Amino acid sequence: MIRVNNLTFSYGKDKEALHGLDFTVGEGEIFGFLGPNGSGKSTTQKILTGILKGYGGRVSLLGQDIAAADTKELLKQIGVLFEFPYLYTNLSAVDNLRYFASFYPQERVRDVMELLDKLEFKKDYLKKPVSSYSKGMRQRVSMARALLNSPKLLFLDEPTSGLDPSGAVLFRKIIEEERGNGTTVFLTTHNMVDADLLCDRVAFILNGNIAALDTPQNLKEQNRTAQKEPTLEEVFIRYTGRGLEE
Amino acid sequence: MRGSFVALLKKDFRLCVSGGFFLLALGSLILYSCYINLVYAKLDQELFPVYRYDPGKAGGERIAGVTDVGSLNELEEACADGYSVGLHINGDSVFGGKTEIMMVSCGIERLDHIREAYARSLLFQEDKTDALGQAEIIGVNTREMKNRREMTAEVLFFELVAVGFLGVASMLFKEKQMGVIRVHAILPVSRIQFILSKLTLLLSSDLLFAAVLTVVNLGMPEGLKALPGVLLQAGILSLVMALVGFLCAELLPDFKQFSLIYLVIAVFITTPVFLSVQAGVEMEWMRFHPMYHLFTAMKNAYFQVLSAGGLYYGACAAAIILLFLAAGWGLGREMKKEG
Ligand SMILES: Nc1ncnc2c1ncn2[C@@H]1O[C@H](COP(=O)(O)OP(=O)(O)OP(=O)(O)O)[C@@H](O)[C@H]1O
Ligand SMILES: [Mg+2]
Repeated sequence: MIRVNNLTFSYGKDKEALHGLDFTVGEGEIFGFLGPNGSGKSTTQKILTGILKGYGGRVSLLGQDIAAADTKELLKQIGVLFEFPYLYTNLSAVDNLRYFASFYPQERVRDVMELLDKLEFKKDYLKKPVSSYSKGMRQRVSMARALLNSPKLLFLDEPTSGLDPSGAVLFRKIIEEERGNGTTVFLTTHNMVDADLLCDRVAFILNGNIAALDTPQNLKEQNRTAQKEPTLEEVFIRYTGRGLEE
Repeated sequence: MRGSFVALLKKDFRLCVSGGFFLLALGSLILYSCYINLVYAKLDQELFPVYRYDPGKAGGERIAGVTDVGSLNELEEACADGYSVGLHINGDSVFGGKTEIMMVSCGIERLDHIREAYARSLLFQEDKTDALGQAEIIGVNTREMKNRREMTAEVLFFELVAVGFLGVASMLFKEKQMGVIRVHAILPVSRIQFILSKLTLLLSSDLLFAAVLTVVNLGMPEGLKALPGVLLQAGILSLVMALVGFLCAELLPDFKQFSLIYLVIAVFITTPVFLSVQAGVEMEWMRFHPMYHLFTAMKNAYFQVLSAGGLYYGACAAAIILLFLAAGWGLGREMKKEG
């Protein structure tokens, strides 16, 4: 589904942000992309979604090299949830979704009401402008937007940020459900609980390089000490070299 | 493809409505039309109100443009505003009168002289009516019609420069602030369509504005005759200004800086126009000022003169294409930002 070979990217002279990433993500997999601030996660995601051009190496999505493929055709099959809920605040949830839906082929588009219902969106706010919504409600509308075109490939950046615990549980359930339908998920997050619970495999990225790549279970086991098995968070900190070193 | 363009248009329309853009355009349309019809068109007919107190009937019968008053007190009161002119005529119908001018100085000596001369000219107007009447009417362009054409051209020029520019920028700044431009980077929609929908909306609202303004202020047959030329020039100006606004909104980080640039651009654009129109100055360097040519073409369109040649239209087309490409580049830059 996603194949990345020797990916490099530079924001200018001496500002190389990625130094040759290699990884593949299989169909129906939930792949966690974790790393400290400034490690290159957003840069990678922007290259994968076709926003940043001029990278080195090869990237293919859905079996096509993105440099050669028809970008519009690819974008029809991709869903992206940004780190912040970017919506038209003068329009309602329904109008926002109808607007974004109009760019996708009709046969791919899901029913807006059904989607919002699934995300447990408050019904009395359906027709009110987004400017009157709380962060969690905006996040739900944004998630609905990402799922609108029944994507085969879903990019999620901090999906549970701004959600209360039950909202986070709901989002995890929905992400699992999407995967159950065959969707591949590329999850960027700082939330180790989400990563541990959801991801089949995780990559730790540090200064534009992959520091580790395995299943959460294996990573925890490999870093096991005599006393106890560490949490994914502890393993992450060990690899990325910050915080509670002994 | 067509469905998505309609969706873009609808979205931009709602942005304009929520930003009060159409209200602003309608308000200025009414304001300008009132000004032209009620103030400017009449300015020439009654430059200064003139009052006459003539107890001995030395000045003869009523004179057009001169109001007779019954007492000296009344006369003093009427011309106490530094604007009106009072004529006190001493004497009687047998020996003829001696005219005494009464007025409060407006503070500018030259203007006071003009007021006096104007008032005096009214007294002698009677004998020369025929000659003056013939001199004023050349073809269909009466003085009033000339004024209307001139003023409408000016007003339309300023409106297209100021409001069109502001309209597109306010739309784009709102979208930038909401971050939704970045969402369009991952939608299967082209940047060209994104820009085109805004241009289409602005262009049609500007053309509608130009058409209504022209017909309201020039009247039915004349307005319609001038309309094709006016719409062509309005369209060119509207596109240029919308694209400049687009580019500024993309490149500047916030509205505060935008308003500074806005001032600079407004001064840059309007200086030659003000100089040539209001002060009647035509300087050599103005030939090199693009906005001067746009304004001249607009004015000529109102007088139904086709003066602009191939070079002018070629330059306009090139400018629009270059600005369009620049706007596309700026949009790409905005889409790459954090998201
Ligand atoms: N537009 C840019 N111009 C120059 N350098 C940039 C630009 N965007 C990012 N960088 C640099 O590239 C590196 C990777 O940044 P990136 O945004 O990919 O990090 P990130 O992993 O997403 O961080 P975070 O967790 O804070 O979101 C950083 O060193 C950053 O300073
Ligand atoms: Mg980031």
